[in-house]
Amino acid sequence: MSDLVIEARGLVKRFGRATALDGLDLGVSAGEVHGFLGPNGAGKSTTIRILLGLARASGGSATLFGRDPWNDAVELHRRVAYVPGDVSIWPNLSGGEAIDLIGRLRGAAADPRGYAERKARLVDVFQFDPTKKGRAYSKGNRQKVALVAAFATPADLYILDEPTSGLDPVMEAVFNAEIRRVAGEGSTVLLSSHILSEVEQLCDRVSIIRAGKTVETGTLEALRHLTRIEVSFSAGPTDAQLASIPSARDLETTGGRVNFTVENAELAAVLPVLGQLAVQGLVIAPPSLEELFLRHYGDSAR
Amino acid sequence: MTALLLQRARRDRVQLAVWIVCTGLLAYVTASAVGSTYSGEQEREGIMRLAVANPAILLLRGLPQGTALPAFVFFQIFTYLALLAALMSTFLAVRHSRAEEESGRAELISATPAGRIRPTVATMVHGVAANIVLGAAVALGFIAGAMPVAGSLVAGVAAAAVGIAFLGVGLLAAQFAHTSRGANSISVGLVLLAFVLRGVGDALGTPSADGLRLTSAWPSWLSPIGWGQHTSAFTADDLTPLLLCAGLALVCGAAVFALQSRRDSGASLLPGLAGHAGAPAWLRGPFALAWRLQWPTIVAWCVGGAVFGLVAGSLSGVVVQAAQQNPELEGMLKTLVSGEGTVTQVLISAMFGLVGFVAAACAAQGVIRARQEEAGGTAELLLSTPLGRVRWLACYLLLGLVAIALVLLSAGLASTVAVFASGDDEAHAGESFAAAAAQIPAAICYLGVLALVFVLVPSITAALGWTLLGAGVFLGTFGGLVGLPQWVRDLSPFTHTPAVLARDTDLSGAAWLVAVAVAAASVALLLMRRRELR
Repeated sequence: MSDLVIEARGLVKRFGRATALDGLDLGVSAGEVHGFLGPNGAGKSTTIRILLGLARASGGSATLFGRDPWNDAVELHRRVAYVPGDVSIWPNLSGGEAIDLIGRLRGAAADPRGYAERKARLVDVFQFDPTKKGRAYSKGNRQKVALVAAFATPADLYILDEPTSGLDPVMEAVFNAEIRRVAGEGSTVLLSSHILSEVEQLCDRVSIIRAGKTVETGTLEALRHLTRIEVSFSAGPTDAQLASIPSARDLETTGGRVNFTVENAELAAVLPVLGQLAVQGLVIAPPSLEELFLRHYGDSAR
Repeated sequence: MTALLLQRARRDRVQLAVWIVCTGLLAYVTASAVGSTYSGEQEREGIMRLAVANPAILLLRGLPQGTALPAFVFFQIFTYLALLAALMSTFLAVRHSRAEEESGRAELISATPAGRIRPTVATMVHGVAANIVLGAAVALGFIAGAMPVAGSLVAGVAAAAVGIAFLGVGLLAAQFAHTSRGANSISVGLVLLAFVLRGVGDALGTPSADGLRLTSAWPSWLSPIGWGQHTSAFTADDLTPLLLCAGLALVCGAAVFALQSRRDSGASLLPGLAGHAGAPAWLRGPFALAWRLQWPTIVAWCVGGAVFGLVAGSLSGVVVQAAQQNPELEGMLKTLVSGEGTVTQVLISAMFGLVGFVAAACAAQGVIRARQEEAGGTAELLLSTPLGRVRWLACYLLLGLVAIALVLLSAGLASTVAVFASGDDEAHAGESFAAAAAQIPAAICYLGVLALVFVLVPSITAALGWTLLGAGVFLGTFGGLVGLPQWVRDLSPFTHTPAVLARDTDLSGAAWLVAVAVAAASVALLLMRRRELR
């Protein structure tokens, strides 16, 4: 018995001739905020639908809390809160009615006072108007319906499918605070996204998927080891001096600045040389997730 | 402009084609069916006397203009052709105006050099063209049904004129309502009001000395459908009342331009209604939600059922008197329904067949609603909570049963009240309800079979549902009339609806229907457990 809340091994999903998932692996431990990264069409939503028992895997295995999401969906859903990527709500129900309905289905009735307090607070922080009819809401506001409903009832696992795609930056900050709050209370979060900065700020570990396969998984630190660090400074030193920098790769001078990259392990050897050259305007940047991403999607992105 | 017109024509090509062809077919089928069923002058005279004497028939049919066959056909069907033209036009108007603004697509178009006014002009041209085609279809239908050419053309022009008048009404309603649903509600309400106003006008009309003709009362002149009727196609062939239709269309059109040039895109004259910040305490599960989403539709079907019930009940008293004077009429009425019984019983049975269609349609709509929830993505939101797929579908089926019961109950109640109000001393209190109960098997058969379709091939639920219903109604009503073999007619559930009011009622057909319904629903629920959301 592992402490994995979500475990998927060799997950395969075919729709007719098209293959959406092609041997996907995913492991999320209890209490972790896990980033689930991939470009549109990589299979993130399909994976989530399988984890929720809304779709059935064509091959491989998936478990939630050690149980089969397809057969034990109803039991498992008592512990799960879900925010879909493209939230649809009932056009003639108000936002508040939709939130209450989902809340009650998820067991809000067991603690009506606590639920009412949490709902009031969330409606306030998300600056959401619950009295409008569903058809009048924008994408962002529909997303708020699902977010308020998800956070208003405690869950052991939050599955969020691109939850901030319709939110403005202020609301993103509110969303981040909520994720930190539930993570602080010990809940597990699976956060799918193609927005890297969001994942970088919130997640302990990430899995990067592409074309239905997991291509990289690990902590952000571990993943950063895989890429080179970028160093740049103002142009000035001669070419001979630049050539003396050890382990520098992709060295070039553009726009009045010298840029090169080094392996993380070799950075310590580079710094004294830069000191001797008395370089100006030195910038040493760790690899951003963006870079990790581009590396994996480089071929398809271009 | 051409691009906007082509876009509208392309978007509506299937919908309008089906609507127009069906309207033309209705004209044709009625003309030929009436021609063969009521071929004798005497039979038509009997029916006409009955109609002139009974407000309920007048309300649901039209203005009697003598017993000539073409006039009889016009009396039977024109108000419905006009109703179809009117509904086609208002739906078309709202679809291309308020619905576009609501979805935000209008903004996309208005940002181009097309501006805000030109799309409206395109919609008007498109709507007028659709009505001209519909008018031509009606005229062709009548001509094909062996009606005189001149009168057929007048009837076609009248139907088109009524449609064009309501095109203006629909566009104007779209200026007022905030949502397309609201605009449709307002304009459909006005269409029905027009139908009822002319019905009241006809019902309050003054009969001629021979009792075969009627001059309608003033309320009929408040209704565009009434104006169309006053062309008296096949008798007077007078096109002047249609100037009123044209006038209404022009006034509405002018008002639309005046309002639209003053308001913001997306804004409306009536503000959108705010909802509640929280759900009422009873809205806590899938059944409550299904009820919350569907009750207005169910109420509408119940009103439809009650209207038919009212007519069924109120007819009986008049008919009993008429039949006593005219035994031939009694015999003819009895041929309409299998089995034997008193005239009242036979008539109530026949009218409740229509109630059965309403109940089945209501049931079908419930299942189609489940599919809409799934396709729209709201089902996904629900089923990600601790709510099983099977229970979710079961709630929809349960609500379908409740809806069927409500429709039949309201019909039975209305009929009972009307029977007693009409002073028929042959009638019994239970008769109307027994006739209503006889409609249950066919209705639940649709519920069960459509549930199975929804589970197996969800994408065709709506299309197949309405097709099956339409085919069933057609085979059940006109199957015998157009001479289809018995095995084809047996395909329709309505063919097996028992005539409970007759002696020696044969319940085996009903038993089969119930068995099919239960089996289909059970299999649907079993398979739902293993079905993905699609």
